[in-house]
Amino acid sequence: MPPRALSHAVVAFGALLRRHSLPLTPLQITDAVRALDHLDLGDRDEVQRGLRAVMVGRPEEAPTFDRCFEAFWRAPSDADAVAEALAGPAMPEEAPGSAIESEGARRERLALEGWSEGGDEDEGGEPLGVPAASELEAMTTRDFSTFSADQLDELLRLTEQIARRLARRLSRRRRPVRRRGRLDLRRTLRANLTRGEIIELRYRQRKRRKVRLVLLCDVSGSMDLYSRFLLQFLFALQRVFARVETFTFSVRLTRVTDVLRARSYRQVLRRLQEVRDWSGGTRIGESLAEFNRHWSHLVDRRTIVIVLSDGWDTGDPDVLATELLRIKRRAGRVIWLNPLLGNPSYEPLTRGMAAALPLVDHFAAAHNLAALRDLAGRLTL
Amino acid sequence: MREEIRKIQSLMETAEYVTDAPVATSVHLALSLRKPLLIEGHAGVGKTEVAKVMARMLDTNLIRLQCYEGLDASATLYEWNYQKQLLHIKLDEGTHKPVDQEEHEIFSEAFLLKRPLLQAITQEESPVLLVDEIDRGDEELEAFMLEVFSDWQVTIPEIGTIKATHPPHVVLTSNRTRELSDALRRRCLYLWIDYPTYEKEIAIVERKVPGIDARLASEVARFMESLRKVRLAKVPGVAETLDWAQALATLHADHLDEALVYETLGCVLKDADDIKRFRAEVGKAGLAPFLQVSG
Repeated sequence: MPPRALSHAVVAFGALLRRHSLPLTPLQITDAVRALDHLDLGDRDEVQRGLRAVMVGRPEEAPTFDRCFEAFWRAPSDADAVAEALAGPAMPEEAPGSAIESEGARRERLALEGWSEGGDEDEGGEPLGVPAASELEAMTTRDFSTFSADQLDELLRLTEQIARRLARRLSRRRRPVRRRGRLDLRRTLRANLTRGEIIELRYRQRKRRKVRLVLLCDVSGSMDLYSRFLLQFLFALQRVFARVETFTFSVRLTRVTDVLRARSYRQVLRRLQEVRDWSGGTRIGESLAEFNRHWSHLVDRRTIVIVLSDGWDTGDPDVLATELLRIKRRAGRVIWLNPLLGNPSYEPLTRGMAAALPLVDHFAAAHNLAALRDLAGRLTL
Repeated sequence: MREEIRKIQSLMETAEYVTDAPVATSVHLALSLRKPLLIEGHAGVGKTEVAKVMARMLDTNLIRLQCYEGLDASATLYEWNYQKQLLHIKLDEGTHKPVDQEEHEIFSEAFLLKRPLLQAITQEESPVLLVDEIDRGDEELEAFMLEVFSDWQVTIPEIGTIKATHPPHVVLTSNRTRELSDALRRRCLYLWIDYPTYEKEIAIVERKVPGIDARLASEVARFMESLRKVRLAKVPGVAETLDWAQALATLHADHLDEALVYETLGCVLKDADDIKRFRAEVGKAGLAPFLQVSG
């Protein structure tokens, strides 16, 4: 057994890690104490490596662990030094920035707050952002302003229903059937055991494999009106499917899969506000490029990639086309959802949209429930 | 550094695996704490190799369970040899054996097909159990593994409960195509293997491609290091490095030049767009930027 003081220190260190969002289990703490027996306590690096192996569960946690380790084991008696070393940029406890919020960011926040209360859009708060995009917003605001608080509730329920039905259709496990499929020897033998002869044959069906979804959701200025609606849909899908990878993008790409995994929707909204960089223009091509660079391994033939965007791209349309083609080559299907399509007078003439259209398997609106239900039918391979 | 870790490192080196302190420490702890080791990293960085080397190091069996989508939990444990059972019933026809005796006979160990997990718990000596690419399996499988790992016993209704006398050392690998459950992560030791550093890659090349020119080995390592910083669709792993070094050595090369790189590019880049992009880069500035020491 390691010295008592040291064991206590490890426990305290574990508590520190927990405060910094590493979800340590009691077993891990015990293991960490046990690990000390097997490490050279005079070798600081070795202790760090060893404890990291026990206490870190995914690569994203490693930087936090290392920072905490540095702080904790270098100056265990000096609380101030600990606090200072921990005040890294990515610390969750960090107070919200006191800097003046950009106009776009403030609007974003307001939009989300309004949503969590189920309230209506405030028309007066809209005249911000890129002029062209604002005009479009004004044209299509009516779609959303028709939703009252009750209707929003119903929308959530229906969205979930659709998602559940979809999930049931997609994830049925292999089960016995009367005819067709592979011969199920185990069931056949069991059924005929007392007969001494194979009389009745049993079959089984191939297990249906689940479809993987990758959602790339535009949350830039011109899309924020839709984002409430769309994220609601994403959220319902996320909770039902085993594999839904969700990303948001505007200028940058952010993976929000883990954030959406949280239980309550309100909580999700709160947490999304933390990760989001919702402001300024959209660089769809660049964002897709980033996706391809870091996350292309999430896409294969059993994957449906859904892009949610109005196609208002301030970047190079050629980049968009190249990167979309890259996704299309790997994916089972590429679906582009454009809420503007719900407006009868809309034509996909923006350069970005024009570049993207030929590469998309299915182009649809996502501006109302019917559109979502239509979409549901497309989510099988 | 702890003596055992040093020893593991040298044992791994003798087993032809170039390692570093984090890998050796994790393996050491996995063995001494008797915990599963979860290894993640990009494709081709040598995750599977760790399990193989562990088995060689401990001079024990390696049992491999390759996961894939739709892999059934029961298929990882055991199956009954139905064909053999049927044949047995057929042969016994006319002997008028009582049904329960017949049943007892055909559901005995002789008719049991042991799949990797059952194999792993019925060994004379603790084997190394490699659960490869667990991220490809379903989440149900993950939960099932956790259950098996917790008490190392398996119940076969017809035979009874089998408990491991020598529980295996477990290594799990994942390419992160899907997030593994927290439950699994929290029960394993965790090791992230990144692409090797320049020095480590030279060491790997020199060990795996004996007789390679020292200058060539260092140029290859430098080149790979630079190449991995370019935006590529398919980033080459260590396997590609070794293929390439082997090809170059076979051509008796002692340094890299443009023509040679073009001829052998197929060993390294395996995506048409990547090759196009690379050629454009080299066309602009030559090979030199790829061989420079990067900051």
